[in-house]
Amino acid sequence: MFLKISNLSKLYADGTKALTNVNLNIENGMFGLLGPNGAGKSSLMRTISTLQEPSEGTIFLDDLDVINNKEDMRKVLGYLPQDFGFYPKVSAEDMLHHFAILKGISNKNERKEICDALLHQTNLFEVRKRYIGDYSGGMRQRFGIAQALLGNPKVVIVDEPTAGLDPQERNRFHNLLSEVGENIIVILSTHIVEDVRNLCSKMAVMNLGQVMFEGKTTDSLELLKGKIYSTIIAKEELEEFRKQHNVISTKVSEGKIIAHVINDSLPNSNFTAVNADLEDVYFSFINSNKN
Amino acid sequence: MFKEIFLFELKQWLKRPAIYIYFVIFLTVSLLIGAAISGLFTGVTTDTNSHINSASAIAGILTSFSSDYLLGLITILVCVALMAGCVQKDFQYNCFSFYFTKPVSKFSYLIGRFSASFLLSIFVMMALLIGLWISLLLAPNNNNQLGEFKFANFFIPFVMFTLLNTFTIGALFFSIVTWTRNMTSGYVGSLIFLVIAGIARTITSDIDNKTLAAIIDPFGQQALDTVTEYWTPAESNTRMIPFNGYILYNRLFWFALSCGLIVITYFKFNFNQFLNPVKLFGRKNSERTSQPSKLIQSIGHLPKVTQVFNNAFACKQIVFLTKFEFKKITRSIFFYIMAVLAILLTVLISAFSGLIYGTETWPVTYTQLDLLGGIFTFFLMVMVIFYSGVTIWRERDCKVDELVGASPINNAIIFSSKYFAIMGLGIIMYLICIVTCIVLQATKGYYNFEIDLHIKSLLGMRIFSLMIVVALSLCMQVFFRNRYFGFFGMVLIMLGIPAILNAFDIALDLLKFNSSGSQMPYSDMNGFGHTVGTFFLYKFYWLGFVIVISTIAIAMYKRGKESTIKLRWKQTFKQFNLKYKLILLVGMFLFVGCGSIIYYNIRVLNPYKSEKEVEKLQVDFEKNYKKYQNEPQPRVVESNVQVDLYPDELKCNIKGFYYLKNKHKVAIKKIYININYEALIKNFEFNVSIKKIINDTSSGFYGFELNKDLAPGDSVKFDYDISYEPKNFIMKKQQTKIVYNGSFINNSLLPSIGYDPNSEIDDNTTREKYNLISKQRMAAINDTTAYGNTYISHDADWIRFECVVSTKEGQTAIAPGYLQKDWKKDNRHYFQYKMDSPILNFYSFLSANYEIKKDKWVNPLNKTNEVNIEIYYQKGHEYNIEKMIKGIKKSLDYYTKNFSPYQHKQVRILEFPRYSTFAQSFPNTIPFSEGIGFIAKLNNENIEEVDYTFYVTAHEVAHQWWAHQVIGANVQGSTLMSETMSQYSALMVMEKEYGQAAMRKFLKYEMNSYLQGRAMERRKEVPLMLCENQQYIHYNKGSVIMYALKDYLGEDSLNAALQRYIKKVAFQEPPFTTANDFYSFIKTATPDSLKETVKDLFERIVVFNNKVKNWSYTKTTNGKFKITATLSCIKTQNDSVGRAFDVKPNDWIDIGVFAKNEKHQNSYGEIIYLKKIKINGKEQKFELIVDKEPYMFGIDPLNKLIDKDNGDNSMDKNGKVIGGGIGDVGAVVVKAE
Repeated sequence: MFLKISNLSKLYADGTKALTNVNLNIENGMFGLLGPNGAGKSSLMRTISTLQEPSEGTIFLDDLDVINNKEDMRKVLGYLPQDFGFYPKVSAEDMLHHFAILKGISNKNERKEICDALLHQTNLFEVRKRYIGDYSGGMRQRFGIAQALLGNPKVVIVDEPTAGLDPQERNRFHNLLSEVGENIIVILSTHIVEDVRNLCSKMAVMNLGQVMFEGKTTDSLELLKGKIYSTIIAKEELEEFRKQHNVISTKVSEGKIIAHVINDSLPNSNFTAVNADLEDVYFSFINSNKN
Repeated sequence: MFKEIFLFELKQWLKRPAIYIYFVIFLTVSLLIGAAISGLFTGVTTDTNSHINSASAIAGILTSFSSDYLLGLITILVCVALMAGCVQKDFQYNCFSFYFTKPVSKFSYLIGRFSASFLLSIFVMMALLIGLWISLLLAPNNNNQLGEFKFANFFIPFVMFTLLNTFTIGALFFSIVTWTRNMTSGYVGSLIFLVIAGIARTITSDIDNKTLAAIIDPFGQQALDTVTEYWTPAESNTRMIPFNGYILYNRLFWFALSCGLIVITYFKFNFNQFLNPVKLFGRKNSERTSQPSKLIQSIGHLPKVTQVFNNAFACKQIVFLTKFEFKKITRSIFFYIMAVLAILLTVLISAFSGLIYGTETWPVTYTQLDLLGGIFTFFLMVMVIFYSGVTIWRERDCKVDELVGASPINNAIIFSSKYFAIMGLGIIMYLICIVTCIVLQATKGYYNFEIDLHIKSLLGMRIFSLMIVVALSLCMQVFFRNRYFGFFGMVLIMLGIPAILNAFDIALDLLKFNSSGSQMPYSDMNGFGHTVGTFFLYKFYWLGFVIVISTIAIAMYKRGKESTIKLRWKQTFKQFNLKYKLILLVGMFLFVGCGSIIYYNIRVLNPYKSEKEVEKLQVDFEKNYKKYQNEPQPRVVESNVQVDLYPDELKCNIKGFYYLKNKHKVAIKKIYININYEALIKNFEFNVSIKKIINDTSSGFYGFELNKDLAPGDSVKFDYDISYEPKNFIMKKQQTKIVYNGSFINNSLLPSIGYDPNSEIDDNTTREKYNLISKQRMAAINDTTAYGNTYISHDADWIRFECVVSTKEGQTAIAPGYLQKDWKKDNRHYFQYKMDSPILNFYSFLSANYEIKKDKWVNPLNKTNEVNIEIYYQKGHEYNIEKMIKGIKKSLDYYTKNFSPYQHKQVRILEFPRYSTFAQSFPNTIPFSEGIGFIAKLNNENIEEVDYTFYVTAHEVAHQWWAHQVIGANVQGSTLMSETMSQYSALMVMEKEYGQAAMRKFLKYEMNSYLQGRAMERRKEVPLMLCENQQYIHYNKGSVIMYALKDYLGEDSLNAALQRYIKKVAFQEPPFTTANDFYSFIKTATPDSLKETVKDLFERIVVFNNKVKNWSYTKTTNGKFKITATLSCIKTQNDSVGRAFDVKPNDWIDIGVFAKNEKHQNSYGEIIYLKKIKINGKEQKFELIVDKEPYMFGIDPLNKLIDKDNGDNSMDKNGKVIGGGIGDVGAVVVKAE
């Protein structure tokens, strides 16, 4: 499986540029799409999921022209949107059967088998008779992934699935995702660096509708090797400090501020070199654009 | 904080286009309505006395914006859109936390929001005023339909009704939606409002429910009606709507209720509750602890499944999703509420719809079919429109739209499953009502359920209509980006298009959504009739239309986040494959094909004449031929005719001859023939040589010059051969005369002699437009030149009559006369009838498959005098046959004894289909509508019940004297001797049979009809003896006056006078008698003391307002009771537009004292005292001693005098006035000749 996104742009009616000339090549496995809120991740996800029409560009899944052949794309797609709900007063089991039918799983036994399997594996089997409306956030997300996996999809798209989950539920969700399989494409969009670090071998960073980086996660760390320096400053100094240095991130710690800057060499002795982690990568792309 | 929230809300709305769109909608609709009323675009105006810009007229229009079904719906929609959601939206858009975490007081939040949206609603409603004002200001005024423009006439009704109604509706929706946080409850609330208004309207068909209806109508229209219904034109034009009485109570009641709701909402509301809405019967949210988490098992190895995307599975998907949607709709408390409402509606309408004079009707199945039309159909339509919004928006509302959108399911499947679910809803509602109807029938003791008929009507007709409405309603929701716009789109198509067509006088019903063509109601005699084909043709036309737009809607169906039409189209463009194109093509084919067939039929084949074209024809006729009006013409002295009816082909051939006699003193040179322009003329022939000089087929006017003059006293024979046949069944306006079973035609289809002035335009405003001189409704009573004709015929006096009527085998054909013989030939049945004595030139031909009941009347005073009685009726309508026979016998008893001998030897009653609801008296032959009398459900225990079957029968039999013996000249007042006297005669027969108690109710209805009728008078009201064929005068006022006259003069001396009059004028040759003659006999019988009273009755328009101010009694020492009372008597004399002038009363008026009626609170018990006393002042003290303990005291307690408010004539000892209210009477008018 190979998903090729070429020159994809999206211009909204009000003139907002949601996507600008996006090119991505995605192979089987987990693919992380990292970017801040408003970076265009959701627009991209929706476009791949056939829910939005690009202004320009093409998307191909192997030979399948996704934009002009939405029906066929939907047959192999599992999609978990960022913000979704459920019909009120419908139990998880019924809801899953409902989606199974929408996905064309015609055989009754097969339908039962896969629904049960998914409920078991998302650990919802015990509570399958409960209304989804009564579920907690984590259970909802697990149910969301269950419905996305109905019908053996070849592409699974999950949009910000861990936002708002407590650490335990997030962990649980990561475990689930990591199992989803190596033989299909899973695109995970998130603004949480940790999600990508934990799960994805490949990733892209997006900001303001553009792809800032695409490649292996490990490669991205290489880019910044030896360029990230850290120092501690007082709060009052921050403004002045920003003017002098290329600050990519600041963190508050015990009343002081730990600032990471990007520079080819050690700026001065107040700084210590640090090993770049994914977070630095992320911030460096976002903030380099700002400059 | 209040101010901020208020202004913020206001600003939010004002920024959005919605509010302006609503404004424009209201402006347009009110402009159109104003234009239609005033003839702004068409220039069509008619004679009128009432101003269209008076306060009561404006109030009528404004209240109709709440209570009229469709107009009410758009008002309610705006209120729901603006007010219901004003708190709920915070939840919907997840911004409640912004408010709830801020220090906002409950008051500021709730009331701020509410008052802002209320203010906006008022802003939108202002469009009504502006629209009406503009359209009336621009209106043509050639008929003086406009009075002085007064701002108050518009503004005060607006405040009184529109403003308050908006507040009421808004308060209700705001409250229930805030409680339940569910918009559906708002929709249900609006339905409940419309149902209450519908019920209020329905129950007024029983006269005694007026008060209740006036109070419970949430929109105040019944209250307004009750207060203004008797206002004469003069009053309406000058009076302001009084803010007292019913209107005050009604407005206060609903205002208080609304305020109460808001107060309750205010106290019940807390910000917490907002997250946990009030659940109506919802299951308790049981607390469950979340499951202990287990280790996630491997998800990598899911069982393999096969995905199928073929047509077979698509069908299964549709079934599955339909079930899902259907469950979503029906497994909700709202569905149950609506089902209960539907049942309630059915039961209530059924209880009141069949009432005629307050008497029940047997619930034969067709009455039940009718129940499911009208308000119920509307109710269902509202449900369909609301649920379309709910279903189409369900995915988005539940935020499942992206999940569903990304799944491989076809738009067509989603759309059609929603479609079928709503169809299912409609069908379920119908079934619920059918079951209700059947139960109702059973409870009334009617067991002929005719379920097949229900099924035919449901499956055959209603479902087709439903299919079309549901499709459009769903499409509207797909096309619009806002569900309220979708609702409005739908309502405007159903309301706006007809309004536009109406305003511009375009009568092409192909443009009216879901039109059915010209339809006839179901009749037990004729079934669905010959319009079934037309119906389906129209339905296929509309089906084609909705197929086309549904296909487009499917292509545009919103999936995912694209909202612009262009992108949505692009999204699904690829799906638009051959299959879709084929369906689109089929739809187009149906739409265009059926549309063309219909158009060809109604416009080309059976050219329909618009009102204007007919007018033009009348004008041409008058301009061209009026000059011949006074040329002497021979008169018909014998008519001999063969009528061949072909019920299956809806046609008839008429062939026959007249003998025309020159009754003048001069020779006649030319003869003119007039005939219905629709007739096909095969032959006109005279037995003398003639020359055709006029041959005008479009007006149906022909002229012949005789080669040899027709000398006085000589006769000529005129032969004619004509036919009437439709070119096709599909017509703009359906004829109901010749039908499959139950044909009924009369001699107006035959040629008539000379210029017929009845074909002229009557309306003087219209005449003026065409430069015709204005015309009196009837010739003046002293115009002796008009005495030469009776008021029903301009070409004959008394004629010899003979005929042969043929019809298809199996039916019986009947005409006036005695059956000579009948024979069968070529599958046809021939009947020959002959009259043995001269009759008026007025006869009918009927044919149907009849049952016959025969009986015989023997004159109790002369055993040799026998009359055959025959009732021809539809099988299944046996209920009142015996009553009719009894009615005939009692009538013959009374009339032969008191008036004169009966001129015939038979009386026949013939049932005809209910396309018209009247009975009509032809010589010894009385066609009687299926819709009245035959299915009356009489309850013998109720002494006040009006047995109108008996009454109508007696009235029609009386016409054999009053019309067929005594017939007035063609001048004012002549219907006094036919209609009024038939009413009097019937009243006397009824009184003998049922006693005075039944009279009282009957006369009350009559008085009500009179008072309502005079309020609608377009030209001038006249005294009884100058009546110009006004039904409210000669029937309704006539009954009351004649009953009073009988009371003053005594039955015997009145009848003696009548007998002398009949003796003088019966069967007279011209000049014919007039009301002057008749009145002179009455005057002779009147003692001097009553001369003025009789003058009031016949020569003046006198209206009383009598009431008991107070009364009390004390027990006297000798065990008697002394009553002291203050009476008020206001007497007015009225002019022709209803301007009233006080006159000093000087009249003998009944004073009555009654015991308590244990059974009926509002009726009188035993009469303790009833005598006339002289009243000669506006207020009079009065003392009286009676033997028994009084309970009720009254002035004119039996309502013998015309009384503007006869509900307050009596008072019980506790000071409660009685008399019952007067409400609207069912629509039955008993016409007769």
